[in-house]
Parts: sequence; structure tokens; C-alpha cells
Amino acid sequence: MQYCTACQKAIATIVIMDLSGGAVTGSQHLCPACAEQLGVAQPKVPKFSAEILEDLLGSLKGARGGGRRPTEACPGCGLTPADFRAKGRLGCPRCYETFRGDLLPLLRRIHEAESHRGRLPGRLCAEPPPPDGSGLADLRRRLEEAVRGERYEEAARLRDELRSAERGEGAKP
Amino acid sequence: MTRARGGKSPEFRPGAWLSGTGPECDIAICTRARLARNLQGFRFSPCQPEAEARALYDFVTARLQQKGLPEQLAVVDLDTLDELERTVLVERHLISRELAGKKCARGVAVDTDEAIAIMVNEEDHLRVQVFASGLQTEAVWQRTERLDDALMQRLPFATSEEFGFLTSCPTNTGTGLRLSVMLHLPGLVWAEEIDKTTNTAQKIHLAVRGLYGEGSRALGDFYQVSNQVTLGRDERQIQSDVHLAVGKIVQWEREVRQALLRGAARTRTLDRIHRSLGILERAQILTSEEALGCLSALRFGIEEDLISGFSVADVNRALLLSQPGHLQRFTQQRLQPDERDQRRAQLLREVLGCKP
Ligand SMILES: [Zn+2]
Ligand SMILES: [Zn+2]
Repeated sequence: MQYCTACQKAIATIVIMDLSGGAVTGSQHLCPACAEQLGVAQPKVPKFSAEILEDLLGSLKGARGGGRRPTEACPGCGLTPADFRAKGRLGCPRCYETFRGDLLPLLRRIHEAESHRGRLPGRLCAEPPPPDGSGLADLRRRLEEAVRGERYEEAARLRDELRSAERGEGAKP
Repeated sequence: MTRARGGKSPEFRPGAWLSGTGPECDIAICTRARLARNLQGFRFSPCQPEAEARALYDFVTARLQQKGLPEQLAVVDLDTLDELERTVLVERHLISRELAGKKCARGVAVDTDEAIAIMVNEEDHLRVQVFASGLQTEAVWQRTERLDDALMQRLPFATSEEFGFLTSCPTNTGTGLRLSVMLHLPGLVWAEEIDKTTNTAQKIHLAVRGLYGEGSRALGDFYQVSNQVTLGRDERQIQSDVHLAVGKIVQWEREVRQALLRGAARTRTLDRIHRSLGILERAQILTSEEALGCLSALRFGIEEDLISGFSVADVNRALLLSQPGHLQRFTQQRLQPDERDQRRAQLLREVLGCKP
């Protein structure tokens, strides 16, 4: 274990090797904070914040059908909500519907996403985006991406588009 | 998988993916795709009562042996193998330690090259694995996709529009795809750079972990890089993410190796390689940890043309055979740990063709 050579306080987890001139001419042990400050490490991936997204989505959340916490055991396998919350594992395919309310935040935390893109039986390759790029699912995805990329102005614009699109069919610009 | 038939039994030949060939094979040892798949109408394997596990096993294995699959598979019922034979399959990466240790009806369907291994009743009903040597994410994914297409026509997989392929653990939900590349990174490890690698990979949502042994320090400098996210990114995105990240790590390893072979570092690097060779040629007792370290150094020496008279394929074979299960199968006797260490030293000299 080695302390950060810059601040001398935190534990160094990053070793920067000086490779200039072809040989290892020196090394520097840094903590993540100092490495970032010194600009020697790439900036951290912005931690996707579920809070930011929820904030942006605001009242849309309720309308999406998620969020309700399950209280009954799964009819497919008998797994109880308590079991699911304790283990984080599902008992059968039907659990995905039964525990949807608990599952969505869990999936967001693990994958920073909450819906599938890619192969499915009968749809063997990735689905092309809708031609006008304004489908609800597509808007939500672009909103999530904007939030993740910390492009908040774009996110706010997409949120407004999404709101008006969800409010009614005629609301499209 | 054939049972014991002495020294010429196929299990003493590494699977095709350990051939030491393929793109970037000096650093990327092999590429593996793994798909998690489950059937409708059954509980997930960890929740199944015994009878249901048996019914599922019989149903799936019958379908896997039907004609017309793009791969020819032989089903191995793990109940028909003893513990040592199961350990051999674990060491060959064909089954997981968890599957080997389970009590329910379970098995694996493999092809003759060991490029395909489908585990039945692991954490998911099916764990489809496809292997190839070197860095071949594209080819491996294509082969996996073709096999999955055929499986989808034969087995009613549990899916939903919203969540994709439904899996026992939410970490696999969506594509169910884990694409991983096994890397040999002695340069980065020797240069104490491995923390930096781990760090970079985390930033691009990949996991880097040691291949042999637990914890942060991998034995033998072998690491596995794989995608973490399976939901919200399609298979093509996952494939290109992993490919790009591995490409970066490979390039980085090359640069560090060059640095280790210049100036003052060169003598220390050569010393370490030759010291390892000396141990392999002379030691009478070798633990598997020490063997992995020495074989890693030897592989580095061969790849960088610092040592002649040995081939990477021999080293790969030695890596496989020095593991406890293979060692005991090869010598055809149960060995106590200290006997193993003695036998390992002897076996490695034979495999590498060192003079006694
Ligand atoms: Zn610091
Ligand atoms: Zn269930």
C-alpha cells in the first residue's frame, strides 16, 4: 500500500508511468482525486444519477406504470417481495412482471438503463430506430443519454418534448 | 468427453482456443461469448425442485442433440462423472465450479474442438459459451448469433419486449451477453501498472479481473476483460465496446513491454525471465502459484523473442496440465498436495521438453 505522492494523505490507486524517451523514467503514485486534478487521468465517467433523471421526468414517472411496489408473492414461483429484496434474484420469468416496481431501480443501478435493446426471438437483430426519431421510447432513450452525458440543456428540451408527446397526439411541433 | 484412456486421451490436448494463434495472440489468449438463456414455463434453475430440474434437463438436452443445429454437440451428464473428471472440465473452462458442485440434474453439451460448451441448469437454464483463440470478438459473436438463432427455433426462451432475455440474476438481463477476452499482461503487471488498467477499464464499463486466483493480484498475470452492462446496449455495441477497450489495453501492454526491454529496465526484465526458466528447468517442487508465475514469464520471453527453443503452444499446454485436476488425471492417480507439487515440477519439464 502506498500513499498518494501529491497529497500524501489518500491511498494511491493509480500508478502513472513516465514512458517518454522509450524507457520507464519514473513513476508517480496518485489517489484518484489528485490524478484527476493534475489532469493525468481521464475524467471519470459521469456517474449516471437516477435522482437527476427522476427529477427531470418529474410527474411523468407515475404515468409510466412503474414505481408501484409489489406486495404479493409471484404466482409463477411463490417468491415473496421480501425474498426478492433480500437476494436480488428472480425465481421465474413471471417475477419480472410481479416485481417490476422493485426491479426497475435495481436495473437502473446495475445497467444505467431499464429497457432492452437488441435481439429477441422473431426480431433477430437490433431494431432500427423509428424513421422520424420521435417515438416515445426513442425520446426517453435520448433523454437518458443526454442526462448521462451531462448535457442538461438538451435533456431539458427532450423532457419538454417528451411531456408534450405524452400529453397528446397533437402536441408534436 | 471421453473417459480415461491413458496419455493420448483428448483431454490432454488443450481446446482449440488455447492454440496460441489468432489476432493479437501474443497478448490476447482467447475470446469468449456467453449467453444466459431461460425457458418459459419453468422456474429458474436455483429455485427448481428436483423433479422440475430433471424435466428441464431432459427436455433441453434432447433438443440440443436434434439434427440441424449449426454445431455438433455431445451431451455430458455430470452425474456420470466423478469429482476429478468434473474438475478437469472446470479447468478447461467448459463448466463453472458452481455447476460442477451442484446436486441437481445438470450437464454440458460440447463440440469436439471445445469451441462450444452449453451448460444446462447452471444459474440459468442454458449458458451458451463460444470460444476462439486470440482477439476475435467479431467472429465469436457471429458464431454465437448463428447458434442462438437455431436454439431460438428449438427452445421457447423466456423474453419480454421490455427486458429482453429474462435471467435469474438481474445483472444478466437484456442481451444476456457477456463477452470476455483473456489477456496475458506481464508487462503491465511487472511495471506495477495494473491498477491503471483496472481503472481505465472501469471507466468504459468493463471489468478487469484476475483469471487464476482471487483478489486483485492475478496469478500468472492473466486477466479477463468483459462487459458489465447487458441491458440497454445491443449485442453489436457490446462487441465493439469490448473490442475497443481490449485493443487499447493490448496497445498499452505492447508499449510497456518495449519500455521494459530498453535501458536499465532490460537487464531486470531479462533476469526475471531467465530466473523463471531456471526454476522450471531445475525445481523439484512447484506449487501451482509458482508454476503460473514462471510460465507467465516464459511466455513473455518467447513472445518477445528473448528465449528460443520453446513454443507458446507448449506453454499453454503446460498452463492447463499444471492445474490439480489435469495433473492427477495425467498421472492417473490421486495425489496429496505435496505430492502434486513434486509431480507438477516433473510434468512441466516433460511438457516443455527440458532436459531432466
Ligand atoms: Zn492525493
Ligand atoms: Zn416468479
